[in-house]
Amino acid sequence: MNVEAFLVAVLTFGCLFSVLTLSLNLQYARGGMINFGTVAYFAVGAYAYAIVTQEPPSGLDQYLIGLNGPWWLGFLVAGVGAACFAILTGWPTLRLRGEYLALTTFAFAEVLHSFLLNERRIGNGSVGLANVERPGISWADVPDSYVFAVAALLLMLVTIAVYRRILASPYGRAMDAVRDDEMAAEAVGKDVARMRFEVFVISAVPIGFAGALYAMITTLVSPDLFTAEVTFFVWIALVLGGERTMLGAILGTIALVVFQEVVRGIPFETVRSAQIAASVEHMLTGAIFVIILRWQVFERISFARSQAE
Amino acid sequence: MSLLAQYFVTGIATGSFLILATIGFSLTRQVEGFLNIAHAELLGVSAFMTWGLNVLAGWPLLPSATVAIAVTSVFGLVIARTVYDPIKKLGPAVLLITSVGVAYVIGGGVDAVIGTGIRTLDIPLATTYKFYGIRVTNYQLLVIALAALTGVSLALFLNKTNTGLAIRAVAANAELAASRGVDVRKTSRATWLISSGLAGLAGVMLAMIATLSTDIAFHQILKILAVAILAGLGSLYSVILSGLIVGIAMDVSVYWIPAGYRPLIAFAIVIIVLLFRPQGLSGRRAA
Repeated sequence: MNVEAFLVAVLTFGCLFSVLTLSLNLQYARGGMINFGTVAYFAVGAYAYAIVTQEPPSGLDQYLIGLNGPWWLGFLVAGVGAACFAILTGWPTLRLRGEYLALTTFAFAEVLHSFLLNERRIGNGSVGLANVERPGISWADVPDSYVFAVAALLLMLVTIAVYRRILASPYGRAMDAVRDDEMAAEAVGKDVARMRFEVFVISAVPIGFAGALYAMITTLVSPDLFTAEVTFFVWIALVLGGERTMLGAILGTIALVVFQEVVRGIPFETVRSAQIAASVEHMLTGAIFVIILRWQVFERISFARSQAE
Repeated sequence: MSLLAQYFVTGIATGSFLILATIGFSLTRQVEGFLNIAHAELLGVSAFMTWGLNVLAGWPLLPSATVAIAVTSVFGLVIARTVYDPIKKLGPAVLLITSVGVAYVIGGGVDAVIGTGIRTLDIPLATTYKFYGIRVTNYQLLVIALAALTGVSLALFLNKTNTGLAIRAVAANAELAASRGVDVRKTSRATWLISSGLAGLAGVMLAMIATLSTDIAFHQILKILAVAILAGLGSLYSVILSGLIVGIAMDVSVYWIPAGYRPLIAFAIVIIVLLFRPQGLSGRRAA
């Protein structure tokens, strides 16, 4: 694999998944919510985009709806769809705490996955929807992969800007207050349950957009692409980068993407050795995860910094 | 009608397997206070070790299974001591997330060693018995019998032996138990050995009733969680009831809806239970 393609892939997927990590960062580090179903909002975005833009079913297609709409409409619907799914899943579950919330969100993601897999009328079941429409933006002779890398970067920057704006506002300070001491926040009149719900829904929107962009890049949506592995990937990235800062979330994601791309870039002689490499990649990812949590690397750095001040 | 009855009986066997798979998980949850996602991967470790000894090394089933269960049991303890114990003070959420990492490591390890493909144990084909037109295989009967035996012996162990009583004391209130002279460390060791050993036993059952592929362990955690939540995270005895409910519900549902939705039934149960009765069947409020 040449260096250029490698860098473009890292930039594209690094920025794309950073959007997920940033949203998770907002939900977990700021809102105190453990969302183990991140992939569901991502999948909703991707499928919403595909369904809006694809042509009406023909031939062997088993899906029912294809609106043949323009790409920007699909993109918008992806965000709205993810928000709606967040409302649907967040409204009944957010009164649950900690691990119970983690399990319910996980369960919702599995239910969605099962629906996409079995309900052929949504998106052809396990086959998925191929040839997802790409927006016809091209400048002279700039290849598509560059356009998407820039798009991913833009999406990430906009997400950061919006989240920063929210966190810097009085609303953001109220969120921190809720995180630090829920009872005290409630005592001064903050509606804790409502805030958690709002944060949950707001942070689902960029995940939906990222899903739409992902569908454009891969031009394929199928249940295989949206398994619990995506959720775990984002969680590992979040832990890797330290959960306190946005920069950490982005660096963690990019580090993980680089790691995966490097492993995938190694040429293998046999199928078996490629498979071993994939398994070892899995093991290493898990081990890094365990080690970081074990020695609380980022807590120590921030502790050392606060000592120095 | 007889088809429905057939699904019901198959459901009992599925439920019995789920009981074996979940009891260890619930025990750790109760004593150590967190959800050990890596528990299901131990089933895979045991199942593939049984397969390796039985098929590759040519051992008979019984010694292979015994060795596999013992190794899995110790393996679980080693993981607990090296990974979970040092971060216990950071709370159940961090432990839960860490156990996902552990599941990755174990799952990746099994994958690397075993490779893709479908495998079966070198054991005689199942004999099918027929009662009133309902078919049941001898392996299914074995799973049901073992689940019953495990339930009874665990109940006796927890109520009659000193270690068992110590486990219950630590589960109820670790600090109070320690102040009354219960050796918490020893109790925790016993808990890990037993729960991992049960995972090992469930893994052997899995190897016997199913064809093995390396992703099989991950699929079990979804069902284990469903059973554990339905039972209420604080209770052991209701695991038996809820294992049967989930198992039967999953298999009987095939009568009305496509078989692909079987896992969805388990999760529908999780969601409904958490929404309407977060404390589970046992009725005890988890802290």
